[in-house]
Amino acid sequence: MTARTVTITNQLGMHARAAAKFVHAATAFESRVRVALGSRVMDGKSIMGILLLAAARGSVITITASGPDEAEACEILCRLVESGFEDTP
Amino acid sequence: MTRLSGIGVSPGVAVGRAVLLTQSSLAMRFSIGENRVAEELERLHRAQERSRQQLREIRARLATGPAADLAPVFDAQLLMLDDPMLVARAAEVVRRQHVNAEWAVQRAFDELAAVFEGIEDPYLRERKGDVADIAGRLRMNLRPDQTPAPDLFRNVGEASILITDELTPSVAAQVDWQKVRGFAADAGSRTYHTAILARSLGVPAVVGLGSASVAVAPGTRVVIDGSVGEIAINPSEDELQEVVARAARRADAERTLEATGAGPARTADGVKLVIQANVELPEDVATARRCGAEGIGLYRSEFLLTTTLGGVPTEEIQYRAYRGMLEAMFPAPVTIRTFDIDDEQVAGWTPGAVARPPRGLMRSRGPMGLRATRLLLDRRDVFRAQLRALLRAAPSGRLRVMFPFISGVDELREARRVLDEARADLTRQGLAPPPVPVGIMLEIPSAAATADLLAREVDFFSIGTNDLIQYSLAVDRTDARVAHLYEPLHPAILRTLRGVIRAARRRSVPVALCGEMAADPVLLPVLVGLGLRELSMSPAAIPVAKRVLSQVNAAVMRSVVRELMCLPSVADIERRLADALAGGAEGHEEESR
Repeated sequence: MTARTVTITNQLGMHARAAAKFVHAATAFESRVRVALGSRVMDGKSIMGILLLAAARGSVITITASGPDEAEACEILCRLVESGFEDTP
Repeated sequence: MTRLSGIGVSPGVAVGRAVLLTQSSLAMRFSIGENRVAEELERLHRAQERSRQQLREIRARLATGPAADLAPVFDAQLLMLDDPMLVARAAEVVRRQHVNAEWAVQRAFDELAAVFEGIEDPYLRERKGDVADIAGRLRMNLRPDQTPAPDLFRNVGEASILITDELTPSVAAQVDWQKVRGFAADAGSRTYHTAILARSLGVPAVVGLGSASVAVAPGTRVVIDGSVGEIAINPSEDELQEVVARAARRADAERTLEATGAGPARTADGVKLVIQANVELPEDVATARRCGAEGIGLYRSEFLLTTTLGGVPTEEIQYRAYRGMLEAMFPAPVTIRTFDIDDEQVAGWTPGAVARPPRGLMRSRGPMGLRATRLLLDRRDVFRAQLRALLRAAPSGRLRVMFPFISGVDELREARRVLDEARADLTRQGLAPPPVPVGIMLEIPSAAATADLLAREVDFFSIGTNDLIQYSLAVDRTDARVAHLYEPLHPAILRTLRGVIRAARRRSVPVALCGEMAADPVLLPVLVGLGLRELSMSPAAIPVAKRVLSQVNAAVMRSVVRELMCLPSVADIERRLADALAGGAEGHEEESR
């Protein structure tokens, strides 16, 4: 299992487009992906789950991946969040 | 004629014949035998496939049209369609409870909707609409034979008004916006996709009407006024003309205002000034923008007390109000002044208790008593709730926090300490608020006298001239016998302003002025001459101020102010200023000839 913590930097937080990008990226990996904010843990491959996390800008989330490509999954997903979802508004 | 009021989400007026569309149909519940479960699951699966196909088509079609903004919505919807929490959950309901697929889809949706309802963030809460859209599509595709003709909206007449219970993205994507001139919906809010789309297409729209889809008969003439959030059903010819004429007058007035207010303020010699707005209610933000404000220079947050029915605004209510303003002004900054209230207004202020009606808010405030920051330092519960709300809202835009009625460094430090505590609290909760500039309202003479010391510990100053003048000259403006002694051009005031501006500049601390002085066409040139480059005033005063500034020569005013500084009386100062302004205006005319 690989886990990393990142801060949401983009203006709107994990809004619909950002969540869609995240889920698209997560489903490309074989590993199981979980995203946690505070006490809530959601399936990283479920857009509803990501939206329901309601991660606003400034919140710190923990991304956990477990499976054959866990290191890469964690790395790519964290980078996506850090980049502000590639400058989507 | 009947009128209905809702939320205007896209301005302008449209007149047309009503086309009705209602989508919400209650799903019926059937029990099914064990032997039909597989068949029901197969129906659900086929509905999912058909929905996927349709969503892909819609997305592809949207990508190039005028509604291209909506395309990403369907990316998200495609993911939702395959989300385990929707179709997979519905399948589970079919298997476990032996019920029909329509009801199972409804059930899965209801469960999700309940969770979405609990989200604080209004933007994310609105995504429930996307889930509803998908659920509706799935239900429709469970009965493919009953699917309405996809070209329903292509065949509407010219100049139609769409009346619907809820305008989902799916429907919005199919509408021919050349023919549909406006829309009205029972549900919805400002942040819903279709409201955003309506604004970008320039289609007048009113949502949140409650029962428009029931009140309006198909083919009825309807007027949509998106600027005031009203619809008129079946107006007579006269009424129609009146509504349209009123709207036209308003549009003209706004255009004139915008034309003068638009663009940055510049003096005749090209010095740029930043003009911001003083506002009292979160709703004033829209007016401020329209009038050409480049930010909110002063939001008098205590007015939240007047809009919170029968009580004190909770942290949550405050958070929503602050966040809304920050979002509406972004990327322009918003300076929020913490409550400037007196002890009477918080008497018996305990969470949830009913407060004294804050009538005559500004009048009742004891001018030199226990008020504003002094009071808040005494009532930490109130102060902390406000600071928490502010910090929580901070990520939504460019927030600046301003403490009013600071008399010196000690009060400032104490207020900052409470802010730091609130920040530490939120950080422990995992919220990590971004850094926020902190400044003071400079309005007490002792603060002006120690501006050099205060400048080391603030990120900005905002000079509140109304109180600064009263206290400096010991004149209570509400006392008619001495009110005439309130003199913004008193030598003491000019010296005080010069002192504060210099102290701020030495420390590179931005300094703004947010009193009535900023809106006075005669005093404005003096402020420019004193070196002020940031002014905040009531929104309505902005267009005039920009026009006045465009005729002021900053370099000339600098030397005029240097002369004014040496004059002993208000009368001398006024006379010299009048000469200078008359001369300046002539000089300007010659230049342009």
